[in-house]
Amino acid sequence: MSAFVEFKNVKKTYKTGEVEIQALKDASFEIEKGEFCVIVGASGAGKTTILNILGGMDTLTSGSVTLDGREISKFGKKELTAYRRYDIGFVFQFYNLVQNLTAKENVELAAQICKDPLDAEEVLKQVGLGERMKNFPAQLSGGEQQRVAIARALAKNPKLLLCDEPTGALDYNTGKAVLKLLQDTCRKSGMTVVVITHNSALAAMADRIITVKSGTVESMRMNTEIVDVENIEW
Amino acid sequence: MLMRSKLRVSTLRDIKSTFGRFAAILAIIALGVGFFSGVRITTPAMVRTLGGFMEDHELFDYRIVSTLGWEESDVETLRGRKDVRAAEGAYALDIMFKDDYGNAPVMKVHSLTEKVNVPEILEGRLPENDSECVMDGKTSYKLGDVLYVNPENEEDTLEKFKPREVTVVGLIYSPAYVHFERGTTSLGNGTINGFVYMNKGAFDMEAYSELYIKLDHELEVYSDEYNDYMAEREDSWEKAAEDAAEDRYDSIVSDAEDELADGRKKLEDAREEGQQKLDDARAELDDAKEELDKAAKKLSDAEKEIADGEKEIADNEKKLKDAKVTLDDSEKQLANGKYQLDNAWAQLAASKAQIDANEKKLTDGEAALAKAQAELDEGASQLKAGLAEIETQYAALNEQNAQFMAEYGEYLEMIDMLPPEQAEQITTAKAQIDGGFAQLDAAKSELLVKQEELTAGQAELDAQKATLAEGRKQLEAGKAQYAQGYAKYNASWAEYQSGKAKLDSGRYEYNDGVKKLADGKKELENGKKEYEDGKAEYEEGLKEYEDGEAEYEDGLTSFDEEIAQAEQELADGEKELHDLKKPDVFLLDRNTNIGYACFENDSSIVGKLAKVFPVFFILVAALVCITTMSRMVEERRTQIGTLKALGYSESAIMSKFTIYAGSAALLGWSIGYALGTYIFPQVIWLNYKLMYIELDVEYLFDWKLALLAGLVSLLCSVGAAWLSCRYELSETAAELMRPKSPKAGKRVLLEYFPSIWNRMKFLHKVSIRNIFRYKKRFFMMVVGISGCTALLLTGFGMSDSVGDFAVVQYEEIVTADASVTYSSDDNGDMPGELKEKLESTGATHADLYAGSWDLVTKDAVKSISLMAPVDFSELKGSMNFNKPDGSKIDPPTGDEALVSISIMQRYGVKEGDTITLRDENMRVMEFTVKAVFDNHVYNYVFIPYDSIEKQLGEKFGLNEAYVNFPENTDVYQAQTDIAKLKCVKNLSLFEDLKKRMTDSMASLDYVVLLVIICAALLAFIVLYNLTNINITEREREIATIKVLGFFKKETSAYVLRENLFLTGLGIIVGLILGNMLLHFVMSYLVVDMVCFKERILMKSYLFSIGLTIVFNLAVNLVMENKLEKINMAESLKSVE
Repeated sequence: MSAFVEFKNVKKTYKTGEVEIQALKDASFEIEKGEFCVIVGASGAGKTTILNILGGMDTLTSGSVTLDGREISKFGKKELTAYRRYDIGFVFQFYNLVQNLTAKENVELAAQICKDPLDAEEVLKQVGLGERMKNFPAQLSGGEQQRVAIARALAKNPKLLLCDEPTGALDYNTGKAVLKLLQDTCRKSGMTVVVITHNSALAAMADRIITVKSGTVESMRMNTEIVDVENIEW
Repeated sequence: MLMRSKLRVSTLRDIKSTFGRFAAILAIIALGVGFFSGVRITTPAMVRTLGGFMEDHELFDYRIVSTLGWEESDVETLRGRKDVRAAEGAYALDIMFKDDYGNAPVMKVHSLTEKVNVPEILEGRLPENDSECVMDGKTSYKLGDVLYVNPENEEDTLEKFKPREVTVVGLIYSPAYVHFERGTTSLGNGTINGFVYMNKGAFDMEAYSELYIKLDHELEVYSDEYNDYMAEREDSWEKAAEDAAEDRYDSIVSDAEDELADGRKKLEDAREEGQQKLDDARAELDDAKEELDKAAKKLSDAEKEIADGEKEIADNEKKLKDAKVTLDDSEKQLANGKYQLDNAWAQLAASKAQIDANEKKLTDGEAALAKAQAELDEGASQLKAGLAEIETQYAALNEQNAQFMAEYGEYLEMIDMLPPEQAEQITTAKAQIDGGFAQLDAAKSELLVKQEELTAGQAELDAQKATLAEGRKQLEAGKAQYAQGYAKYNASWAEYQSGKAKLDSGRYEYNDGVKKLADGKKELENGKKEYEDGKAEYEEGLKEYEDGEAEYEDGLTSFDEEIAQAEQELADGEKELHDLKKPDVFLLDRNTNIGYACFENDSSIVGKLAKVFPVFFILVAALVCITTMSRMVEERRTQIGTLKALGYSESAIMSKFTIYAGSAALLGWSIGYALGTYIFPQVIWLNYKLMYIELDVEYLFDWKLALLAGLVSLLCSVGAAWLSCRYELSETAAELMRPKSPKAGKRVLLEYFPSIWNRMKFLHKVSIRNIFRYKKRFFMMVVGISGCTALLLTGFGMSDSVGDFAVVQYEEIVTADASVTYSSDDNGDMPGELKEKLESTGATHADLYAGSWDLVTKDAVKSISLMAPVDFSELKGSMNFNKPDGSKIDPPTGDEALVSISIMQRYGVKEGDTITLRDENMRVMEFTVKAVFDNHVYNYVFIPYDSIEKQLGEKFGLNEAYVNFPENTDVYQAQTDIAKLKCVKNLSLFEDLKKRMTDSMASLDYVVLLVIICAALLAFIVLYNLTNINITEREREIATIKVLGFFKKETSAYVLRENLFLTGLGIIVGLILGNMLLHFVMSYLVVDMVCFKERILMKSYLFSIGLTIVFNLAVNLVMENKLEKINMAESLKSVE
């Protein structure tokens, strides 16, 4: 039986006019179900490309990607949309909340298109925003907004939670809190969480650490000494 | 400089990267400017085109007509005025023609003028002789076509117009006929089909029909300067015209008086001369008669003579014939005579010899005789003695016999009884006596025989003696006879000779007679022939005479008639002169020219619209610019901050945006101005071309307009850019570089109504909140879309209101088929012939008096059509009186009047008001308005007919009738038939009027079309731009929901649902706005005599809504593609 997530010899080439840019040369890795995985790499290493492909937002040039036994790399546009809709939860660096919707509504926005959503209020309570459900994003702090974003992702009850620099726009403490939330979510609900970051310090809290460099997976290792978020310093 | 230029590069790149936005500004400015300048320039361009034509071709300033016409001297007088450039007299006639195409057109035939109303020759040349013409270029006639003067023209017309055939040698446009309407006439069906210009020589008229004046100016037609110029002169010219007419009147009167005197003298002369001639003729005729009688007598004499001659000839012939016979007989006789003569001669000779012989024999015989006598005398004496003895014996026996007889006589009787001896004795005795008797008888007989012999001998001797005597006598007679015969012979000979001579002369005579007869016959033949000739001549003469007589009679009657007529004419002339009114003179300015007046009206329609619509477009353009630019400034916030941080001055940074907007505006302005000022006049002119002469519309470049449009567009764009930038630039660089905090979400009012809100679908709630989130965009969107709907609705509404007014007028209000105007008869009624004609076609008619009266109000005097029907109930089926709200109006009675709605609208006349009407003779009537009725064409006041008489004490003759033909009548045929009647002035079919009015309003169709196209463009630009802004603004959000797994349709619905909602809202607002706009437009769209019924048909609502939705969907379709292209990776990017 293959792994929950499997990246095999994935290649991604962007073409802009005459210039070809190889974002991914040959990336292969796998992630098991319920793992907290951190993909770390410098700017331009190709981690966002991996995220895009894994999140069904982009297609690959060659290779194969499977999630829970389904080969995403063969999906068409519509299937990809369905894939994003039902299987993926996404947490953005800049939260990407709909400004015109309250916290709860933002969660509902995602939840109402899913087959088996979690209750929006429940999820918001889970992320500690039970009191602020009716607030608009502009009335919330960055951390709170990110929590809403996480809640929005979680409410979809996805197979995979993808987080793109979830702390990038947050201050140190808030960032930590968010990371803690993610880690707790993984631990408590057995959700497979993939966090993409340039901050290698965060790797310490992961079950699995994948290091990307120049379009290839430089290393993939299991973390034997998992450190609690509180104890990580950067 | 370098810095600057880099900034320029940046601006150029901005344009390239945000081309949609740039194009939107460009397009909306182009549209606004195009519409504004196009609509603005159309009227001036059209006026320039057609007005220029009229100016260039010296359209008259005054056309002066007088009831008496004009003479060259009048023209001369007016030409002498100092502001005159040209003054010319001209002839004009309405003439019916026939052509080779089977038409019978009525043409207005003018004489050519040289310096006024100069024709534009399209083809061919000007006429060179009096039977050539130049033809109306709007007709279908070609060069070389021939028009034949219709003999049905009135005699008067035929007298005034010389040629009978007119050849088209040129096609022209005339400045006096720029409109396709050629006016009306009393001929044919009342319509003039075209005009024709000819040389003056073609006319035989004593006075010019009209006098054209071109004043010395170069002022633009319709311009205020021109109107002022003309107003200044009006009084003085009116006086001049009247003076001229007065002069003309005086000269006519004196001329006429002279002429009358002349005429009278001529009449006397003619009468005398005629009488003289007649008398001469009479005398001549009488002479002729006498001669003829003589001739007749001669002829009858001749006839008799001939008959006589013939008889004579016949007689002569017979005579000759007889003569011939006689002659022949004579000849024969003569020959016979000769023969007899010769015989006679021989006989004579023989007789001589016999006479001689006989003489001898006679002498011998005489001697023998004398001897025989002597012997006989002896025998006689012996016999005498024997006889005497017998006688004695006898006497003795007679005695014996007497004794016996006495004795025995008795016994003889008893013989048989007597014894036989006695009987024998007696018988023997007796026998003895008888024997004695017998012997005596025998002796006596013997003696008697001897006596007889002796008597015979004596007789013989006597005979011989007699014979001899006879012989002697005979001889003597013979001798005498001979002598006589001889003499006779001689006489006969002489006779013969003379007979012969006579015969010869007779024959000669006869021959002569024959010859003469032949001559006579010949002569007779000649005579006969002569007679025949004479007779023929006579008959001829007689006929001639009779002819002469008849002629004379004729001459006499005609002389009497002529004299009578001449006298009548003179009397008429005198009466006419006596009746000759001072001439009515009309100083007609250009406004009385159909083309000039119509065009001012027609062209101003567009001009009126020019005042309304462009404002709207400019407003929308400004709004589009503002939203676009403020969005752009927002997007470039960081850039502005960066530039500011780099040390660029505020104005430099601002220039980036003002140049962006300004360049778009300038480009849009130039494109819009060029296209607008070109296309609008062209398209609108297309339609005017049908109604007016087909000139190419001139391109008119109006600097002022261009500048104005440029300024406005720059104000919109650069102003918008400046406004948008101003706020941003006031912030510090640092602030600017930080992302602007997103606009906070807000609850909408609806959320406070949970009963509704909670029931709504989640995504709908989102849309609603989004809709109200961006107020500016919301406003823009609604303005744009409602503008589009409103424009469409206005366009269609105009078409509904204007396009159908004639249809409504002539199908719903005036339901009669035709109106006929006529001259009333002496009783002021409809003339009998017209009445009969109408009734013969089965038509019904409602009679009325119609006249042009002035409605006198406090501020104005307005001419209205006064209609006074005899009986309002007759108008049923011809004219329907309804209040504007549709309710029926009862007929007015007494001094009540019905007024048309146009009068109410323009002069504020209401129900219950008193109106004052005045005619040209300043007679005044007053009426109470009973009701205002719905009516679109003409300003009508309807009053009861009898009210006129009641108010003015004077009866006005009926002069018009509404006519309804039975169904299936060939109305055109009926029209021609009725128009032929003398009393009929005009018959117009309402169907024709309807068509004409509808046609003339068709110009608006093009305007409507342009409005619709512009509305579509406007809607598209606004929608596109706003949706575009909406999407770019929310690109991140859209990317996010895409990442969240929204399907394509859900994504578009998420964004475009707002558009649909706004479209719906915009449409609702637009319908309201459209109604208002239409009302506004219609209030500007005032055409004289016409009152439009402002209305919008259901289909126009549907079209307006439908089109708006279609534009919206089209934009959405384009936008869906744009949504599709949004990269989800955008969502990962940081906020700029």
